[in-house]
Amino acid sequence: MSESRRDPLDELLARVPREVAPERDLWPAIRAGIEAEPRPAERARGGAHPRWFQLAAGVLLVLASSLTTYVLTRQSLQQEAAQIARETLPAPSLTATPASFGLAPEALGVEYVQTRAELDKRFEQRLATLPPVTRAKVERNLAEIRKASSEIAAALAENPSDPLLQELLLSTYRNEIRLLTDVSQLPSTSTRVDL
Amino acid sequence: MSTGPGLQGSGTTTDRLAFTEGALIEAARAGDKRAFERLYRLHSGKVMGLCLRMTRRRDVAEDCVQQTFIRAWRNLDAFEGRSAFSTWLHRIAVNEVLSHARNHGTRSESDEEAVAEADTAPQAFPDGHDTSDVMDVERALATLPEGSRHVVVLQAIYGYSHEEVAQMLGIAVGTCKAQLHRGRRLLRERMGLPEASDE
Repeated sequence: MSESRRDPLDELLARVPREVAPERDLWPAIRAGIEAEPRPAERARGGAHPRWFQLAAGVLLVLASSLTTYVLTRQSLQQEAAQIARETLPAPSLTATPASFGLAPEALGVEYVQTRAELDKRFEQRLATLPPVTRAKVERNLAEIRKASSEIAAALAENPSDPLLQELLLSTYRNEIRLLTDVSQLPSTSTRVDL
Repeated sequence: MSTGPGLQGSGTTTDRLAFTEGALIEAARAGDKRAFERLYRLHSGKVMGLCLRMTRRRDVAEDCVQQTFIRAWRNLDAFEGRSAFSTWLHRIAVNEVLSHARNHGTRSESDEEAVAEADTAPQAFPDGHDTSDVMDVERALATLPEGSRHVVVLQAIYGYSHEEVAQMLGIAVGTCKAQLHRGRRLLRERMGLPEASDE
């Protein structure tokens, strides 16, 4: 618009003020309008509940995946168990659960960390004896469970008092322990595998 | 022009304002309503001016301003900073005006009513402008056909390019140029100004 500033029309248009104050303060009505809106940052995260539902769906997916893997691999695992004749040590307790919730291992409680470390060791030993296909399925299951744990723990860090997230995290920890225990106990007295 | 009118002032002041505005936008994104109120205080006058001249009715313009800021709050995450915040707000405001026109019609108000409304505008201009000249322009603008008025307001007063105006109004660039030409010719006629050589 600057090419014809000397044009009288342009001169006049340039003098028209751009700003016109509203006669009334519109902010109270705007504020009332945005009170009903979710905070932008919350919505950017997908909203509180949708995020939880996504995580819950993720956990359900992991559980469903675990069940599918169990059905598919049970037979081969039983066969493998029958072939493994050597004696095994008693497995750690299934009941170990984290004392608190967080990403850092030390935040999970001494008992849980110790049990998990022991289970991990036994799990790796047993895992090495499984056929490659079965081992891959078990490892994939464990990775899914641990990924879900990590995501839920991250969400919990943002909403530490949320009971649903706490329950979801506890559930995935239990699933992890159960998987580690099942594989660790595989060659022992029972041939049942409950992945 | 790619970013629209944006913030005014010297480089240093502009930088400071832009920094402040950026901080306010970030705070508002995080849910800080006081920060968003400050953004409203900074920009409501310009948004109101645009809406008033496009709609010709103060009550409708105020509704559009209100909805503009509510929509802006709702969509703050979509503001990427590629244009000035004021330009982004103006785009929302234009959408609100056009949406209001679609939903409520634009022919219910006569030109006489629009001119009467425009006559009240100087009360809102506490500045050093020659009030009578500004009044003449406002009155003439208010009598323009809607299509031409929208283009003249956005381009000649708010300084947006043909491409930006065409995008805002959802029309072709050629249509935008034609509407501007028509609007300027009508303004000259109604204000008794000599015809320009290029019009």
